[in-house]
Amino acid sequence: MEYVLKIVNLAVSRRERTQLIPVLNDINFFVEKGELFCLVGESGSGKTTLALSIMRLLPKSFVVTSGEILLNGQNILNVNEQSIRSIRGKDISIIFQDPGAYLDPLFTVGVHLQEALHGTTEDKNQLITKTLKDVGLEPEIQLVYPHQISGGQQQRVMIAMALINNPSIIIADEPTTALDVLTTRQIINLLSKIREKYHPAIFFITHDLELAMSIGIRIGIMYKGHIVEIFRPDREKPLHPYSGILLGNIDKKYFNEKIPVSSQTDINDWCPFFEKCPEREQKCQKKIPFIWRDSLTGIRCIKHGRNHQM
Amino acid sequence: MKNFFQRLKNHSKLAFFSFWFLVIFYIVSFLADILAPYHFDYQFRDKPYHPPTKIHFFDTQGNFHIRPFVYNTVVDDPVFRSYREDTSKIYPIKFFVDGPERKILFFFKTKKYLFGVDKPAGIFLFGTDTYGRDIFSRLLYGGRISLSISIAGVIISFTLGMITGGIAGYFGGIIDQILMRLVEILMVFPSFYLMLSLRAMFPLNLSSIQVYLLIVLILSLIGWAGLARIIRGMVLSIKEEDYVLAAKSLGLSHWRILIFHILPNTFSYTITALTISVPGYIIGEAALSLLGLGIQEPYPSWGNILSSTIGNLRVLGDAPWLLLAGFFIFVVLINFNLLGDALRNVLDPKNW
Amino acid sequence: MKKLILKRLLHLIPMLIGMSFVSFIIIQSSPGDYFAQMKMNPEISPETIQQMRTSFGLDKPVIVQYFYWLKNLVRFDFGVSFAYHIPVRTLIKFRLKNTLCLAIFSLFLSWLIAIPLAVLAGYKENSFTDRFLSMLAYISISLPSFFVALLFVYFISKTAVLPLGGTRSIFDINAGTFVIFADYMKHLLVPGIVLCFVNTGWIFRLMRNNFVETFNNPYILAAWARGLPARSVIFKHTLRNAMNPMFTILGMEIGTILNGAALTEIICGWPGMGSLILEAVLSHDLYLVMGSLVISSFLLIIGNLIGDILIAFFDPRIRIT
Repeated sequence: MEYVLKIVNLAVSRRERTQLIPVLNDINFFVEKGELFCLVGESGSGKTTLALSIMRLLPKSFVVTSGEILLNGQNILNVNEQSIRSIRGKDISIIFQDPGAYLDPLFTVGVHLQEALHGTTEDKNQLITKTLKDVGLEPEIQLVYPHQISGGQQQRVMIAMALINNPSIIIADEPTTALDVLTTRQIINLLSKIREKYHPAIFFITHDLELAMSIGIRIGIMYKGHIVEIFRPDREKPLHPYSGILLGNIDKKYFNEKIPVSSQTDINDWCPFFEKCPEREQKCQKKIPFIWRDSLTGIRCIKHGRNHQM
Repeated sequence: MKNFFQRLKNHSKLAFFSFWFLVIFYIVSFLADILAPYHFDYQFRDKPYHPPTKIHFFDTQGNFHIRPFVYNTVVDDPVFRSYREDTSKIYPIKFFVDGPERKILFFFKTKKYLFGVDKPAGIFLFGTDTYGRDIFSRLLYGGRISLSISIAGVIISFTLGMITGGIAGYFGGIIDQILMRLVEILMVFPSFYLMLSLRAMFPLNLSSIQVYLLIVLILSLIGWAGLARIIRGMVLSIKEEDYVLAAKSLGLSHWRILIFHILPNTFSYTITALTISVPGYIIGEAALSLLGLGIQEPYPSWGNILSSTIGNLRVLGDAPWLLLAGFFIFVVLINFNLLGDALRNVLDPKNW
Repeated sequence: MKKLILKRLLHLIPMLIGMSFVSFIIIQSSPGDYFAQMKMNPEISPETIQQMRTSFGLDKPVIVQYFYWLKNLVRFDFGVSFAYHIPVRTLIKFRLKNTLCLAIFSLFLSWLIAIPLAVLAGYKENSFTDRFLSMLAYISISLPSFFVALLFVYFISKTAVLPLGGTRSIFDINAGTFVIFADYMKHLLVPGIVLCFVNTGWIFRLMRNNFVETFNNPYILAAWARGLPARSVIFKHTLRNAMNPMFTILGMEIGTILNGAALTEIICGWPGMGSLILEAVLSHDLYLVMGSLVISSFLLIIGNLIGDILIAFFDPRIRIT
């Protein structure tokens, strides 16, 4: 088994005045070579923070408090600024949510693509034309400014930029959220076509579990900065109560009222879903580790984790 | 309100300090009648361009005096206007001294001033001008004129700007077109040139109260246009809000909606704009008075205290303390700027 | 682009008409009958009076006079100065040259200083450098131009390192062009530095805030994500985008710097438009006041136009719609 991306015990905090507020906790997962890994979570669950930590592009107010991010075996948290720049865009690239905002309005599409291209022996123009063809755009689009093309075309340009150096992994941070239904379909198809042709691993971030179930090989569910479950949609059903709620299987209104939420200081260490969990029990009031079922899937829940192990 | 001060304090200690500094500064200048040792018009004929008086604690024998004192001065060299201290007699600084009656803000009478010394000695904290008038006293009295002109000007032009901008934005159509063209045309003139041209519309020799009102009028006429345009823009977007539509469907009159439901929503912007624009009015008044087109002698303003230094290198060289008026303007301006900047952040709904 | 400029130029026409009308109203409402006053003045020849009467229609109704005046305005004929007895145009031409030299010199200088410092401060947001420079900018903004001018004049009068007042001190006819130019620049230095001192703070603050705002934009994040070097992200992407609104400011400044320049000119004794209009107001020389007002607003309009054209030139979102 070959990992493209492996994250070990990652924790990230946000600095607010003198306090450190945890944003990501105990993140452990990996993306295999050529895999399509989906990360699903509500807004504010820390998905984008995770994506930016992997790119090492966190805003200044964020600090990585522990852990390792291994990209092709190399811990990118340890490399210097110079080397991370040669890694960004070349070995790992990213596609963002709202493509219009992520393209510099003063420069043509061509300039963007030229910039994205890291040192290569091939003919630059030929490579750009080829990549544009791969994402379904004409070479003439190079002469055009970002505001002159549609959102779908802008996202294709972003994908072309991400693809141009043939990276081993592409992070797609909600690439379809700002687009309409039809364009979303087209972009998803484009991504799977690209995966068939060039076999990059794709780390796909979305808030739409249904979309993730339809495309992902494995799915990670994120809640309040924790990964609560990792499963394969075509092999097994998700077991975590939160996954159930996301899928609409469990009535959200039902709560186990017998166990009230006490406002104790150590509540931060409890199961992150405790407050809203329909199946919570007294024994959930403690730190819950992520339990791997097998080498690929796992869950952060005492009840279902145990069940599985037995 | 308390919440507001707390937010201001949390946002910037410096701005909070600026706020109280300005409050105190205004109070001080309005109490000039008590605080100034001399009336703005009182002349020491034998002491023109007197440098700031030295305040002593030790006499010539080296004895320490718990109460600070000054010496009387006599002219040493009339050509170079240098003064020599006459150390034969000490004049202790007295607090709450009696003197000729003055009226505080036209109403209350006072005979007591904060401090002073016995004649013939004088206490000139900031020196004297060409007529031997105490600059410190004139700065306090001048502050009253300069600061009140700026406040009056700001209030008038903001009222004008709110009304015009509100009407143009709310009613739209032809009224909007006409008002906004008018605003655009007014904004085409560089303000200094417009100010002087407007001043040229009136005779140069006016009574002091007329000049005072004229300056307020000119400054507010120049200032309202920019605000009206911004208020119009805000009203345009606010009038599409749901609660305005609801008010309309309730059958409230246009004026009621405009005055009670729309304009109050522009207040957080206008208070910031008001604070930021006060410096412009202070500079405007100072500029006019500085050029001899504003407040006339013997009345002091921060501008006309400076005016004797213009084009007269000798005066400037002999009495650089006259420049303190400029320093006063600077201090008030920097506090307004600091406060205005902080208010912009504190009152911005985005930052709540 | 051409269409845009043409549209802006057409937009100017009502502005110019409105501006000239307001100027005319201001002067007309001034007290006193100047035509009568002019006739009483023995220094003005009857021929001049006759000429002004016919070209400005001075015995016609006020509204007709406006059109006479407007007709002359188009030909840049502002009438004759009562105080100087020469055409207002001649006076303004000489003074305008000086004012423009002063304005452009100080604009150039202050932008040259402010922009690099603003980029430095913006890049190191909230650092000591940033705080220190921002504090200096606050001081610069809060210093009235006349106060700085007076302080400078005081300093120069004590040290005499630079000439003060006028535009030249070499009156030798045989002096070479370069010598005369150098002399002119030397005289320009005092008012120029004063004006620059006051202006730099504004430009610094605007640019610094633009830079910080641009630097936090998503497309800058995307530029980093592409693996671009810091040099390219800062100077190519952030600086270009942060400079964009500054072009509008530059256009506006051409007009607004006239305000600061006027007082500086008067205090430093630089013979420009500011001191001209002051003299005109003090001597009630109305045609001169009117001419100065019209020309100064004309400069402001031209400045705004230049700003509009510049931003259209540099911003494809406006240029290509």
